[in-house]
Amino acid sequence: MLGLSLALFGAALAAALAGIGSAIGIGVAGGAAAGVMTEDPNKFGSCLILQALPGTQGIYGLLIAFFVLNKLGLLGGAGAVDLTWNQGLQILASCLPIAVVGWYSAIWQGKTSAASIQMISKKPEAMGKAIILPAMVETYAVLALLTSILMLMGVQVG
Amino acid sequence: MKDRRAEANYVYTVARLRGMENNLLDTAFFSRLMDSTGIDDAVKALGETSYSQWISGSSTGNFDKAIDSEILATCEELKSFVPDQEILDIFRMPYDFHNLKVLLKGLFKVRSGELEGRRYDLLSKLGTIDTDELTNSIETEEYGFLPYGLTDLIPQCWQLWEQTKNAQAVELLIDHHMFRAMLKVAEDLNVSEITNWVKNKIDAENLRAAIRLSRMKYDSSKALQFFHDGGTIRADDIAKLLNEPMDTWGRILSYTNIGKVLNSLNEQGDMKFALSDVSKAFDEFLLNVLENAKFSMDAPANVLLFLLSKEAEARNMRVALVCVAGGLDREFGRRLLSNGR
Repeated sequence: MLGLSLALFGAALAAALAGIGSAIGIGVAGGAAAGVMTEDPNKFGSCLILQALPGTQGIYGLLIAFFVLNKLGLLGGAGAVDLTWNQGLQILASCLPIAVVGWYSAIWQGKTSAASIQMISKKPEAMGKAIILPAMVETYAVLALLTSILMLMGVQVG
Repeated sequence: MKDRRAEANYVYTVARLRGMENNLLDTAFFSRLMDSTGIDDAVKALGETSYSQWISGSSTGNFDKAIDSEILATCEELKSFVPDQEILDIFRMPYDFHNLKVLLKGLFKVRSGELEGRRYDLLSKLGTIDTDELTNSIETEEYGFLPYGLTDLIPQCWQLWEQTKNAQAVELLIDHHMFRAMLKVAEDLNVSEITNWVKNKIDAENLRAAIRLSRMKYDSSKALQFFHDGGTIRADDIAKLLNEPMDTWGRILSYTNIGKVLNSLNEQGDMKFALSDVSKAFDEFLLNVLENAKFSMDAPANVLLFLLSKEAEARNMRVALVCVAGGLDREFGRRLLSNGR
């Protein structure tokens, strides 16, 4: 049972930490979007796109949590597989990249998005560049997601 | 930055200021305004700007009121969303001290037998203290509720006046106190860029005074009283400048940022010409001190930078309208325009 608990703890961390990061990031970008839209409500479309960017880390965390639950046999009603504590620990370790990187990268992506929102407030024609800047932060969340997936695929259970 | 909550609020604040910056009028607009054939033409050009809501006539007095109303409206708007009101206070405090000088000088004249001494028309509504309340408290000698240490300052002013009958000495006392009070508010606010700006403002005021005194061939040993403490350059060091030729001041102060401004003025020969050019260069320098805040999405200094830009806009508006109304030389007017935005 300890193995299953460790694996579930890993899934919870992936969904929770990445989700918290995304919530903070979207909140920061949302504050900037509200400031810009107070002066110019027509910028809603551009602001919404930039505000949504830090939300992806939360989705990546959820994806990994589903992956783990599926691996444990907890989805579909087939019953949980037996796990040793060592296998549980391996799954927990596999969840850490997206949990930690997702958490931090979402916050920083939110800050970059907020700066980009301020940029399009003055230069709306630079929308393309404004999206690229926060998207650069996304790279590291994607790399963490890939790492978590590859590690999970390598863990032998059942 | 006081805490995480304040940081989040400044993201909103700075974003809103970025939006408001789009409505600031640039020097190209003022240059076009100066090309107006007459004051009616200029009023028409102002119809597209936020100043139009305050303009009710075409006399110079009306324009002054309109410009003050626009800055006051901007301050009131910022008050509704800026987390630290002290930043607005730092911008508005000089107007409080201006009002204090106007009221005290008026009363000095009245006590000297000049019954028409009071000049309420010179009071500015831009201060943090309501002008009626300030007037009432000074007339009734009830200073208890006044901020920035005015409770102690005003009796000192009266005492100095009784001893010397010298209004200029009282003005100096008020100015010294104002800069001390501004520095204290800035230090309590704990935003290094704003504290640095106040210190540089003190330097700029001291150097402006030094240039005036140097032109008057004033004796350096008696000049120390004219300089304020608290700047990045010691008041003693500025007084010593009066012993040196003005064109060497930039080199002597090359270790400071304002020294570079003096060097640049010296290269253009402006130190020998209009004091207005020196003032313009110092005003632009003070805007540049806060320039780095532009690159931050949540720096509180952006609030002060915006207010100073708005003040520079108001100054340009005055220059342009005076040029048009008075039929003054447009090229001279253009030279006075500062690059606020």
